[in-house]
Amino acid sequence: MVVKILFFGILSGKTGTKETTIEVSEGCVPLSDIIAELKTRFPELPDGPFIYAVNEEQVQTSHTIKDGDEVAIMPPFAGG
Amino acid sequence: MTELVRIQEEDFCLEDEVKRLRAISNRVGSIVTFLGTARDFSDDKDVSAIEFEQYAGMAKKALSALREEANKRFDIIETSIIHRISTIKPGEQIVLIVVASEHRKAGFAACEWVIDTLKETAPIWKKEITPEGDSWVVPHP
Repeated sequence: MVVKILFFGILSGKTGTKETTIEVSEGCVPLSDIIAELKTRFPELPDGPFIYAVNEEQVQTSHTIKDGDEVAIMPPFAGG
Repeated sequence: MTELVRIQEEDFCLEDEVKRLRAISNRVGSIVTFLGTARDFSDDKDVSAIEFEQYAGMAKKALSALREEANKRFDIIETSIIHRISTIKPGEQIVLIVVASEHRKAGFAACEWVIDTLKETAPIWKKEITPEGDSWVVPHP
């Protein structure tokens, strides 16, 4: 299955991209597996703390990822 | 009708936004505003501009949820939230919260809660442009 990944703030600078896709084996996988794969692909990705969202809803790393999901990896918010 | 929650590149007019909330009801006896503006100095560095980034769909949902929650949580009439997303120079406006209520105490409390919670829950980030280079801002409490 294919998952769209979005990086925001300082994380797009660290990874050199704002957006990428990741292909994982069929079936559902926890977000933590996707994060582990991203850390392999982007060693510059810091250890966090991160905030995660799937399809624009904030989630925990135990959240199950499905084919076609949009996963946002976000540093702590700093608006206002 | 202009939306009460907006994320926009262009500047906003504080007077127009206050008028908009005053016009909602004749029960309005208090308008409290918070206006956030860009500073030219931060953490011992000169700042020439601030660039904002958002996760567009999620940021709009977060601000809309914030307005709804403020209207429920406090004894107020209505809340308006506007956040700019663009390159903003020192002295320019960034964010505006306007709270209309019957009495001032609920308005002050709601306004403070909205800006504090916005900083924690809205997926928005800012990068300061300085003579030494650009740096993403670590959130302030």
